[in-house]
Amino acid sequence: MQIYLPIAELPVNMFLIFGMGAAVGFLSGLFGVGGGFLLTPLLIFSGISPAVAVASTTAQVVASSSSAALTYWRRRMIDLKLAGVLVVAGVIGSSIGVGIFSMLRRFGQLDLVISILYVTFLGLVGGLMLTESIRAIINTRRGRPAPLRRPGQHNWAHGLPFKMRFKRSKLYVSVIPIIAIGVGIGILGSLLGIGGGFILVPALIYLLRVPTSIVIGTSLVQMTGTMAVATVLQSGANHSVDGVLALILMVGGVIGAQFGARAGALVRGDQLRAMLALLVLAVGIRFLVNLVITPAELYSLTTLAGDAR
Amino acid sequence: MKELATAFSPVLPAFLALIAILVGRPVMAEELIVALSSEEVKITSNFTGTGIAVFGAIERDAATISRGSFYDVVVVLKGPPETVVTRRKDRLLGIWLNSAARTYPDMPSFYAVNSSRPVAEVATAPVLKRFQLGFDNLAFETTEHEEAITPEDISFRDAFVRLKQQAGLFRQEHYGVTFPGTNVFQTTLQIPANVPVGRYEVAVYLFRDSAFLASDSAEIRISKTGFEQFTFDLAHGYGFLYGAICVVLAIFTGWLAGVIFRKD
Repeated sequence: MQIYLPIAELPVNMFLIFGMGAAVGFLSGLFGVGGGFLLTPLLIFSGISPAVAVASTTAQVVASSSSAALTYWRRRMIDLKLAGVLVVAGVIGSSIGVGIFSMLRRFGQLDLVISILYVTFLGLVGGLMLTESIRAIINTRRGRPAPLRRPGQHNWAHGLPFKMRFKRSKLYVSVIPIIAIGVGIGILGSLLGIGGGFILVPALIYLLRVPTSIVIGTSLVQMTGTMAVATVLQSGANHSVDGVLALILMVGGVIGAQFGARAGALVRGDQLRAMLALLVLAVGIRFLVNLVITPAELYSLTTLAGDAR
Repeated sequence: MKELATAFSPVLPAFLALIAILVGRPVMAEELIVALSSEEVKITSNFTGTGIAVFGAIERDAATISRGSFYDVVVVLKGPPETVVTRRKDRLLGIWLNSAARTYPDMPSFYAVNSSRPVAEVATAPVLKRFQLGFDNLAFETTEHEEAITPEDISFRDAFVRLKQQAGLFRQEHYGVTFPGTNVFQTTLQIPANVPVGRYEVAVYLFRDSAFLASDSAEIRISKTGFEQFTFDLAHGYGFLYGAICVVLAIFTGWLAGVIFRKD
């Protein structure tokens, strides 16, 4: 069934978009990521302009992450205090990000920067996650117990001032790395149309040593808050949030996310991380290939101003 | 002989002018009557494109000299003007990135040409250029220097037309205009689903033996209606409010799904 999108200004197949939302929603529930890094490229591939795709995905991420966050809330697997600090930092970051977004679009280098950022972050995070999870899987296979987290085990991030106690995460750390992570994720989120869960989750685990059980719920709360603000900012600055598109994606996404969250409970953590790492790497490689191989069409058109209304 | 020509020389321009008037007389005598199947296209939620039928009759008064050759009709549909940047990717350190660019102000956002024959056969190049008939005859006003058109400029123009064609926004039907009767013609202008909204101009040009005879134009409005229009106005007029509504909708959807799928 074809449905006309009022902001994207083109008709799309409703079931195709719904299916995309559901599939990405399933993965987002499974891995505790927003899924934006998959959805935005998918939408652009189906003919929706990058600006509308990025902004509408932002709204969709709000729905899927709030839905999944609710599930974790019921299981009491969220550190609200930590999430709160991350949201405040994330909002600052996404304001900066929306500004950079508009600037890059004026210079015609938005696509390039998006591609390079995707390659860099997806490659880096995917690679790190993959090596770590493979090591963990090998360790379990050999019957060696996973290295236990000792209270005294600290890295440089724990030596900074302005310490804050996070009871739920059993942490006593400086707020500086937390704010830095939040701002960074906020900038990336609004630039790339992603929640940033795939960066946030490993950052919280490896940098701050937040317990794995708490990490996903907390990052979901952070994503809900940051992306909600990013949606309002994108809509106010770029008028590019398509409500109809976002709604179809949301309905598909939340349904998929419910099943994903349930499926996630059946799979071991290290295996989940390995699967997510492969997915992240695959998307990153896809962007790298696009940057390096000779494109079929060297030219592109951008409408600057028009009377079309 | 030379003397004769000299004697006639003041008369010659006048004589030529007379011939021109005589030849030109039937031009004034032909009149175009054009009717459109609709003057407004409304974009609703199930809009997947449409067609606008253009009917026309060529009226001739008694004084018009009947000639053996046929009429040629060119029907043009032009969308609201826009400013477009055409960018070209070049390789730098192994990476393809946008480098050179051309800005074209005042280009039609939509441009369809239906003709009874390929436009190149309908009229001479200067005439086609004057009325901007056909992709090759569009006026490109660049903001850059326009003194000399380099081969690079040409490749940018070609790319612009090619990309617009690929998007379905530039269309050309060489034999799209048909003649059910000698003096009656018809054509259908295809409006794709991704059509930009705004005021469109339908212009009909009548030719015979490469000579321009008459033209007529009409206006079409392509607009969104109801919910689509409301959403668009809200998003553009009250962006922050619209964004906030989207967020509320998103959180509600998320919450509702959580309630529906609750198992415990």
